[in-house]
Amino acid sequence: MTPRPSHSAISETYQRGEEAVIRLVESLYNSLALPEAKNVFINCPFDNEYFPLLKSLLFTLIYLDLCPKISETSDSGEIRLKKIQGLMAISKYSIHDLSRMEPTKRKEYPRFNMPFECGIDFGLKMSDEVQYGEKKFLILEKEPHRYQKVISDISGNDIYHHNNEPEKIVKALRDWFRRMEHTKTDYKEIWLAYNEFSADYERILAEKGYNPHDIHALTFSDIISNMEEWIPEYKSKSR
Amino acid sequence: MAKKTASPSLAAEFRKAAASNSGRVHVVPSKSGWSVKREGNLKASAVRKTKASAITAAKSIQSADRIIVHKKDGTIQKNTAKR
Repeated sequence: MTPRPSHSAISETYQRGEEAVIRLVESLYNSLALPEAKNVFINCPFDNEYFPLLKSLLFTLIYLDLCPKISETSDSGEIRLKKIQGLMAISKYSIHDLSRMEPTKRKEYPRFNMPFECGIDFGLKMSDEVQYGEKKFLILEKEPHRYQKVISDISGNDIYHHNNEPEKIVKALRDWFRRMEHTKTDYKEIWLAYNEFSADYERILAEKGYNPHDIHALTFSDIISNMEEWIPEYKSKSR
Repeated sequence: MAKKTASPSLAAEFRKAAASNSGRVHVVPSKSGWSVKREGNLKASAVRKTKASAITAAKSIQSADRIIVHKKDGTIQKNTAKR
C-alpha cells in the first residue's frame, strides 16, 4: 500500500502549485500589458534622506495629471523584480534616479539597485520595438556629467541633475514633460503648491501619530492617494 | 516595523486641508529668492531677496493669521501666529 503523504508534503506541493499559477498569471499579464500614456515608473532610493525628493517627485507627477507607478519594498527578491518588470511594462515613461551610485557617507556602500533596474528597463524597451519602442526615460543625477565617469552607456539620453534639491526635481520633471508636450504649467506654480502640501502633510501626519519625516510611516500607495485627494481640491480653490 | 496603512479618514483630512482657506501665508525659498504665497493663490504675491524681508511682506498681508516659513526641502522651519 502506498504510504499516505505527510501534512507538510501536501502543504509543500500545494505551495509549489500556487507559485506556478502566480508565475503563469504574471507572465500572461506582462505579455498583454501595453505602456499607458499616463503611467510613470519610478526607480529611486527608498531612504529618509531621499524622502523629500521622492515626495516632490510624486507630487509633481500627480500635479501634471500623471500616474506614478512605484514598487512597495516589502516583497522578496524574485517576486519584487517581477512586479517591477510589470510596472515598467505598463508605463510609457520611466524616471530613473541614479544619484546614489556613490555612497553619500563614509563607510556606506554604493547603491546598485537603481542602475540595475534602469538596465532592466532599457532591456525591456530594446526587447520589443513594436510594444515598447515608444517608452521614454528621464535619468536623474546629483551632479551634471558625473554619469559620464560611472555609466557612460546612458549618454545621449535625457539626463537632468537635481543636486539633492526638491525644487530642482520639480523643475526637471516639469521641463521634461513640457518637452513631451504634456504640460505648460509653470514649475513655480508646482513648487509653491508642493510647499503648501508639505505643510499640510507634516501637520496631518503628526496629529494622527505618524512621523512625517519617516519614508516608511505610510505606504507609497497611501502617500500617492493622499496627494490625489489634496491636489484637485487645491486646484479648484486656488486662482 | 510594519508600515501603517492609512485610514480613509486620513485621505479626508487631506481633502479638507486643501479645500480650506486658513489664512496661512507661506514663505518659500526658491532659485529666484523668497516667495510669499497666500493660501488660495496659485502664484506668489511677492518675491524678496532675503528671508527677513519676505517675512515682513507676509506679515503685511491683512488676511494672514499664521506665517509658515519653509526650508529648502519644502518642510516647515517655523510656523508662527502673526503678531
